[in-house]
Amino acid sequence: MGFVSDLLPHLVNGVSLGLLFALIALGFMLILGVMEVINLAHGSLFALGAYLALTLLASKPGPVAANFAWFTALPLGTRYALALVVAPLLVGFFGMVIELCLRRTYGKDPLYGLLFTFGAALVIEELIRVVWGTRDYVLPLPPAISGSLVVEGLIYGKYRFFAAGFALTMIALLWLFIERTPYGSIIKAGAHDSEIVRALGINLSRLRLFVFALGAGLAGIAGIVMAPIWGIRPHVGVDAVVPAFLIIVLGGVGSFWGAVLASVLVGLAVGLTGAYASEWSLLSMYLLLIAVVTFRARGLFGKKSVLEA
Amino acid sequence: MSKTFSRRRVLKGAAIGAGFAFFGPFRHISYAQGKKPIKLGLTCDASGQYGDSGQDDLRGIVMAIDEFNAKGGVLGRKVIYVTQDTETTPATGSRVAERFITREECGFLIGALSSGVANAVSQVAQKYGCIYLNSNSSSPTEAGKDCHRTKFVWDGNGTNFSKATVKNAVSSLGKNWLLLTNDYVWGINTSKATRAEIESSGGKVIDELMVPQNTRDFTSYMLKIQQAKPDVVAAAIGGDDIKALRQQVAQFKLENKPAWINNQQDWPDVWGQGAASLFGVFGTTWYHKLKLPGVDDFVRRYQARWKDAPIPVPGNVSYNGYMCTRELLSAIGRAGSTNNIAVIKQLEQLKVSAADRMQHYGAYMNPSTHHLQQTIYMARRNDKPVDNTDLFEIVSWTKPEDALDAREDDMACKLETYESTPTYEL
Repeated sequence: MGFVSDLLPHLVNGVSLGLLFALIALGFMLILGVMEVINLAHGSLFALGAYLALTLLASKPGPVAANFAWFTALPLGTRYALALVVAPLLVGFFGMVIELCLRRTYGKDPLYGLLFTFGAALVIEELIRVVWGTRDYVLPLPPAISGSLVVEGLIYGKYRFFAAGFALTMIALLWLFIERTPYGSIIKAGAHDSEIVRALGINLSRLRLFVFALGAGLAGIAGIVMAPIWGIRPHVGVDAVVPAFLIIVLGGVGSFWGAVLASVLVGLAVGLTGAYASEWSLLSMYLLLIAVVTFRARGLFGKKSVLEA
Repeated sequence: MSKTFSRRRVLKGAAIGAGFAFFGPFRHISYAQGKKPIKLGLTCDASGQYGDSGQDDLRGIVMAIDEFNAKGGVLGRKVIYVTQDTETTPATGSRVAERFITREECGFLIGALSSGVANAVSQVAQKYGCIYLNSNSSSPTEAGKDCHRTKFVWDGNGTNFSKATVKNAVSSLGKNWLLLTNDYVWGINTSKATRAEIESSGGKVIDELMVPQNTRDFTSYMLKIQQAKPDVVAAAIGGDDIKALRQQVAQFKLENKPAWINNQQDWPDVWGQGAASLFGVFGTTWYHKLKLPGVDDFVRRYQARWKDAPIPVPGNVSYNGYMCTRELLSAIGRAGSTNNIAVIKQLEQLKVSAADRMQHYGAYMNPSTHHLQQTIYMARRNDKPVDNTDLFEIVSWTKPEDALDAREDDMACKLETYESTPTYEL
């Protein structure tokens, strides 16, 4: 097998992994970029999304099966599609509750917000343990997106391609929403100068509530999409929040395309080292961060600080 | 009708209550008056890579403590315990061990899943002469170069499992092997033992892929495995990593070609994901459906003690926790004191019958390594389960002598002398 044909599967894998990282980081980026809050509860909201989807999809008797027999009678594919909508909405509601509690920290030392979201993460994780227990779960998948396919003699998981495609779609939709709708313009304006936005008569509190709910919902979607790959366990969110934070710093805080590019670079670094220097695969993302931040402290697409002028 | 609580009424009620409590249909446990309880420090992970397994270990240990206390304790003294999360982190393990010994005045430490944590705890324990039972970590180094006079290792180690599988697998499955190794002390040393067995059996290791702890995406590894085309993949992956790997191998439908040998599968790592993602041949030291005397009764006692446990039946991890605690408390009883050297000598002479072990063969403590030599089982997915806990089909069991870890020079255990080990009696 030639070098290129040997390398190509790992490049494809790296890009797809990068898209999944981008999906994980989207909600985190939105909340940090618009509200300047480092949402450490992002991982727990990610896990909550997976658990809520699991409840909706569980074939065994449970609260859904008991009260919504018509729902459990639907084909798995339909229920999966509905879970991708309903579970993030519920997570978004949780996000709203967090934002309402978080308001007391606005205008104070950012450390308060950080500590609050850290506390919220612990509360949500314990809530998951209480409701669903500590055991692991597997999210059932519709047959159409599970199983494997063979390309050039190599077996790939079908779901991996579905997840990467879904991530790409979510990235595109979020970009369209922020860049091509009046709501997106208000969000961007709120991030740029909240005082002017308020002076224009826009309800800033409602805007923040909406943004936090959207960010939380995106975390929930990422949790559902990643569940068949990472599994579902109460502390699975820890696996999400670390790369999300790293990607935002690498891409530059507040930069949408910076985060996407950083995600793909991290995916490629992890994927390629996994194949050719496997002991470095997890470390590679941190090395990449060090390399970039050493030469460009504000990240790939971060805005220039007034101190650098 | 008005109800008043007069002094006389309260006293009468209290007397009746006390009389009922004393003469009623309850068991009375009497501990020798004024005797200080025997305190154990349980160094069990509650978070991190081995959080679930650590808590399973804890359930087995606590069950044994409860059973001894129900029979009057040890030497007429109640057995009490403290536990703290060691976080699957060696530094935390050291800190917890230090605290348990110096502040909590624990006479004995029990509990381990991660070999890194076990090694860290055992170094602190040896410094104070405190007996430490490594209940569940299975790096060959634990009873090899990292052995200590105060440490006793209860789980089968990587070498035991390799010896039980590799020779037959090289002749039946193929000569070209690929090692998939968790990049920490247990994985590295287990793969090292597997490599030695493969090469001495006429096989060849064509590649070794190191898997950092906390790896969640195994796609690049699975692509690499397909490109390397081995006959057999020998995986030494544990904790949350093996859960993710199993799920993804099942998605890729790679479970049959190549053949997989998973060195050891801990029950908490298997439970929850179900049989669908259970593949290959793997090792274990115990299974709750072994057709042996005492097994069913043990399962019933466990279920009565842990009604709300996340795993409804005991597995190898809780079994090891239970067994080592039981043997420690029995050894204290036989020694007639909590003097550490006396208890160490009792444990070094330990021989347990097959019936008491609920295994196919008797077990014995190797006095020169402090490693319990026991029956090693090989299992695979059970395609004809009798209930939803019946995930394994036990395919073979190997005598302790046949799975014995014969040490290489660089792995040699050198126990500290009795004289150089601090002595204490609590």
